[in-house]
Amino acid sequence: MNPIRLQARFGLFFVKRTVLISENGLAVLAFAVLAVLPLLLSGYVIYVLPQYMLFGMMAMSLSLLWGFAGILSFGQAAFFSLGAYTMGLAMRASMPVNPAYVALLLSLVIGAGIATVVGYFLFSAGVRDAYFVIVTLALSIIVEQITVSQSEITGGWNGMFINRMALTFGNLGRFDLSQDAAIYYVVLPAALLSYVTLRWLTLAKFGKVLIGIRENEERMVSLGFNPTFYKTIAFALSGAIACFAGALYGTHANFVAPSLGGVLFSTEVVVWVAIAGRSSLLASLLGGIVVSSLSNYLSAITPRYWQLVEGLIFVAVIVYFKGGAASALSRFRTAQADGTQHE
Amino acid sequence: MSLVISVVLDSALITFILALAALGLAIIFGMIGVINMGHGAMLTLGAYLTWWTTSAGIPFVLAVLIAAGIVGVIGLAFEHFIIRHFYDNPYETLLITWGFFLVTTELIKIIFGTDLRNVSNPLPHAINLGIIELPAYRSLIALFSLLLIATMGMLLYRTSIGIKIRALMQNREMASLLGLNVGAMYKLVFVTGSFLAGLAGALISPMLSVDPYIGNIFLVRSFFAVIVGGLGQILGGTVVGSFLIGGSETIFALFSTQVFSQTIVFALAIIVLRFRPSGIVTTR
Repeated sequence: MNPIRLQARFGLFFVKRTVLISENGLAVLAFAVLAVLPLLLSGYVIYVLPQYMLFGMMAMSLSLLWGFAGILSFGQAAFFSLGAYTMGLAMRASMPVNPAYVALLLSLVIGAGIATVVGYFLFSAGVRDAYFVIVTLALSIIVEQITVSQSEITGGWNGMFINRMALTFGNLGRFDLSQDAAIYYVVLPAALLSYVTLRWLTLAKFGKVLIGIRENEERMVSLGFNPTFYKTIAFALSGAIACFAGALYGTHANFVAPSLGGVLFSTEVVVWVAIAGRSSLLASLLGGIVVSSLSNYLSAITPRYWQLVEGLIFVAVIVYFKGGAASALSRFRTAQADGTQHE
Repeated sequence: MSLVISVVLDSALITFILALAALGLAIIFGMIGVINMGHGAMLTLGAYLTWWTTSAGIPFVLAVLIAAGIVGVIGLAFEHFIIRHFYDNPYETLLITWGFFLVTTELIKIIFGTDLRNVSNPLPHAINLGIIELPAYRSLIALFSLLLIATMGMLLYRTSIGIKIRALMQNREMASLLGLNVGAMYKLVFVTGSFLAGLAGALISPMLSVDPYIGNIFLVRSFFAVIVGGLGQILGGTVVGSFLIGGSETIFALFSTQVFSQTIVFALAIIVLRFRPSGIVTTR
C-alpha cells in the first residue's frame, strides 16, 4: 500500500507513523543519536565509533553504485586505502598550509580522478556486470600490492603511522583533535554531509537515471541518456567518498597498512551492504556501523566462528532476502500497515 | 642463449600450471555462464585435503584423487541445494559463490588452522637437460595439464556428451526442447568444474606453502586468463590466456620484482579486456 494514500485515508495517525518510519525520519533519528552519544558515553566506544562511521561512509559509496546504478564494485577498499595513504604521506610532508586539509582535498581529487579514468575507460567499452567486478577485484589487488612493494614510501607490510590532524583557522588559531570527542565531531558532520549529498542526488534526476540504467540500460539509451556518462559520474562520486573517508580514517586510526586496501576488506564492505540493504543509503551507512562494530565485538569473543556466521548470513541474505535488512523491514511494515487497514 | 631457453621453458611451465588452475573456472564460466567466485576456495580446499591425507600416510596420487573427489562432492551439494536455483541470474550466482568462498575459507581455518602447511614434493629432484635443469614435479604437472586439456577437448568435440554440452552452450531452450536434460547437464558441468578445481589445488599444493588464502591469487589470475583468452574457445582460450598472464609475468619479472610484474600484468589484462571484451581467441 502506498504510504501517501494511507496518509490521506487515515489522517494524522498515519502521518506521524510514516514520518517516524520514513527514511528521512529515521536518518534524523540516527544522526541525532550519533550526535548526543559523546555527551552520554566516553572511552573506547567514542574512540572507535568514528572509524565505524567512516566504514559506513564507504558502505554508502558502494550503495550508490550497487543499489542505484546496479554496478557492483569489489574495489571500494582500494579507494579507502588510497585515501589513508594520501593522508599519511601529506602529514609527513612539510607544507605552508595545514597538511590534513591538503590531504582531504587531494583524497577527493585522487578518488574521483582514478574512478573517472578507470570507469570511463571500461564503461565506454561496455564492460559491465561480472567483468567489472573482476576488474575492481584486480584494482584492490593492485593497490594492496603497490602499497606492499613500495616500502620506501609506504612502509610495506609494517604499514605507516599517521599523526592525528588538527583544525586550523588561518591566523585565528588551531584546534587540536587528539581528544576522542573532538575528532568525533569532525567525522560525524562528514558522514552527515555525504549522506545528505548522496540522498539528495539519488532523489534528484541523477538517481532516477541511475535506477533506469540499472533496470534497463538499452531503454535509457533510446530515451536519450548516456549511460557511460552517468555510470562514470556515479563511480567517480563513490570513489571520491570512499577515498575521503579513508583519509579521515588514516588520521583517526593513526595507522594504515596494506591490508586496508585488500580484497578481503573490499568484499567485507560488500557483505555489510548486502546484509543491510543495498538500495538504501541509510541502511548501508548504519549497516557499515553496526555490522563492523558487531564483527569487531564478536571476533573478540569468538574469533573462530564469527566470520563463518557472517559468511552464512551473507549467503542467506542473497538467497532469501535480496534487499537485505532494509527491504525485509519495509516489507514487514507494509504488511503491518495492510493489517491495520483491514481491522 | 641459456637464459632465453630457460625463460621459454619457465613460461611454458607457468602457462600450463596456470591453465590447470584456471580450467575448472573456465569450464563453469564458459559452459554454463556461472562466475564461480568460490573457485579459489575450491583450490585451497583441494590443497588442504592433500596436506591432510598425505600427513595421514596416504600415498600422494591417491591423496590427490581423494581431495579432488571431496571437492567435487562439495560442489555437487552446493549446486544441488543452492546454485541451480539461480542459473538465470549471473549476478546472484556471483555473490552466492563469493559467500561460498567466505564460508569455505572460514571452515578451512577452523578445521585445518591458519598456519602455513607444506605438502612434501613427491618428485623433489630436477631433470637435467644439459643447458638447464627443470624441476621434475612442475614439469610433470605441466605435462599432465596439457594432457588434461587435450582430454577435455576430446570429450567436448568427439563424444556425445560433448555434443550435448555444446548444444547447451549455443541454445539452451532449443537443446531443452530437443529432449536434453538441461538440469542434469548443468549439474555435470558444475561438478566437473569443482572436481577440476580440487584436482588443481591438490596438484599445486607441493609447489608452495599452503595457507587459507592461496586460492585468491589464482582466482584473479585464472579469471584474467579465461577472459583474456576468450570465452568462446574455452580450452584454447584458457591456454592462450594463461600464457599471456603467466608467461608475461615471468618475462616482466626478469626486469622488475615479482610483485610489480604481477601489477603490470593485471593492468595489461584490464586494457585487453577493454579493447577485446570477447578475448584474444574468438570463435570462428
